[in-house]
Amino acid sequence: MALFTRTTKNLILRIDEFFDDVEIGLTVFREGIKAYLGNDSEAFQRHIAKIDALEGNADRLQRTIENEMITNSILPQHLGEVVKLIDQMDEILDTLKSSLNEFSIELPSIPESLTKNFLNITEASVSSAEELIPAARAYFKAPYTVREKLLKVYYFESETDKLTRSTKKTIFQDMPELDLAHKAHLRYIIHHLENISDEAQKAADLLSAMSVKLIM
Amino acid sequence: MILLFLASGLFLGWSLGANDASNVFGSAVGSKMISFRRAAIIASLFVVLGAVFQGSGTAQTLGKLGAVNALGGSFTVALAAAVTIFAMTKLALPVSTTQAIVGAIIGWNLFTGNQTDSRSLTQIAVTWITGPFLGAGFAIALYALLRLIRKKAGIHILKFESLTKTGLLAVGAFGAYSLGANNIANVMGVFIPAFMLPPLNLGIITLNSAQQLFLLGGFAIAAGILTYSKKVMETVGSNIIELSSEAALVVVLAQSMVLFIFSSSALSGMVENIGLPAIPLVPVSSSQVIVGCIMGIGIYKGVRNINFRMLGEIAAGWIAAPVASAALAFFSLFFMKNIFGINVGTKLEAGTLQKSAFMGLSDPRLSEIFRYALLSILIAALVSAMAYFLYDRKRKSELRRSEEKFWMNLK
Repeated sequence: MALFTRTTKNLILRIDEFFDDVEIGLTVFREGIKAYLGNDSEAFQRHIAKIDALEGNADRLQRTIENEMITNSILPQHLGEVVKLIDQMDEILDTLKSSLNEFSIELPSIPESLTKNFLNITEASVSSAEELIPAARAYFKAPYTVREKLLKVYYFESETDKLTRSTKKTIFQDMPELDLAHKAHLRYIIHHLENISDEAQKAADLLSAMSVKLIM
Repeated sequence: MILLFLASGLFLGWSLGANDASNVFGSAVGSKMISFRRAAIIASLFVVLGAVFQGSGTAQTLGKLGAVNALGGSFTVALAAAVTIFAMTKLALPVSTTQAIVGAIIGWNLFTGNQTDSRSLTQIAVTWITGPFLGAGFAIALYALLRLIRKKAGIHILKFESLTKTGLLAVGAFGAYSLGANNIANVMGVFIPAFMLPPLNLGIITLNSAQQLFLLGGFAIAAGILTYSKKVMETVGSNIIELSSEAALVVVLAQSMVLFIFSSSALSGMVENIGLPAIPLVPVSSSQVIVGCIMGIGIYKGVRNINFRMLGEIAAGWIAAPVASAALAFFSLFFMKNIFGINVGTKLEAGTLQKSAFMGLSDPRLSEIFRYALLSILIAALVSAMAYFLYDRKRKSELRRSEEKFWMNLK
């Protein structure tokens, strides 16, 4: 019988573990960027390896969660949305991994005067995604509180946009010493950092609609 | 020959199982919360139990309305009801077995000159109207309670889902039991006065004549569930009633409670003992009660655009179905008696009814047939359950193996 079966318990644990992976991934990413900007290449490489492992584990969890939900017909009415949410959260982790890898491959040269800007963008973008985690957890335990938790996601996403815009303006309008290729490269790197909050916003939009459907 | 006469009643039972089981498990199966196989097995088992152990109350009420005292009459009455249901369904008009059979009994009363018991008729009519409203009331109260518990408990959605699934199975079993108890009178009620079977000893229990008929009717309903209700259940769950799992649980529970209330002699007796008027034991339409329950959920959620057309159609069914069925029964009885020369029943004085009706229809061979039928069904059920268990285990192990292979290849 379905009552508190091992499947349900395992599934709850796996979903929690998946969220843990995303949450830790965000912290690792933030520390990785700090290490890169602080020229600590050993710590940077360690963080890349860590995020690779987290992403691999999250992929495995994602697949298991989806399989178990489909085969055991768990939450059939919300299955599609839950699967999409997990997918969207995994997309965040993928973005974190690919961004750190871009740094590792392209080794962008960030002018010292922009270090603080890059740190601030990273901080705001990562915070936006971090605020998503409690909201996603709340969907499963207290759906009534999801929407209020999502407010911070939108706030940090908008902050990221502002910081990105002002940094790009500084690069293209106030730094004539940089050549166009360098400027374009920096813009590309900023775009990578900004992507995290954009993905978080997409997940937040989905989560918001899901919670309304659940409490109606 | 006797079994041939029962065919119309068995057909009624089959159609009841095919259509009305969806009221109990439709939302759960349609939304894929419970597999059809599991739902059909539970529904079939409990519908038979409800019919055998609690079907007598509503059958007595129908008996009071008109005791069809010849097998030819019972056959024609059940056939008229079945044809009415078929025709009205074809015309896309809402109809219930209960209303059709009541109309057909009145048609028999008119044909044979027996007086229709106005008290029973009033009781039945009042219950038809009360049923959906009572269902709506129960649904509102239960839904509010469940939402409150869920909000306060802060339970994980997957745990809640797991509990709801278990609840749906339990409530579905209760619903099937109540459906069997309440609606078996529609299927076999008209045959009771025309039959007198010797008691059937099954070792643990002994079934009287009416219970043996109910057992047979229960099997017919179960056959309807197993053979034809899948499509109806899937349609109900996915197209017409789009309910959340908790709303589905509440709707089925509220409906089962209404059916139970109108079929439980014990509950009726308890109410009478505390000085209140006894609850009439009347077969009610499970489809109409469930519409009331769903509307109750809609009212709770603040839906303003209640489908008054649907309510109007239900009210029209309260009149149209019995009238059509009564007319058809009347004319069919005329043909059966005057053209085929079959005895369809006579006008009898009060008190002599049961005695004369039972004469000449007692056949011990029928009990033997029942005994063997029961044994075969039990064996078939056991074999099916075993096959299902093995199939499910095989499916799961195949999936596990494919997963392991996938991750191994990935490494």
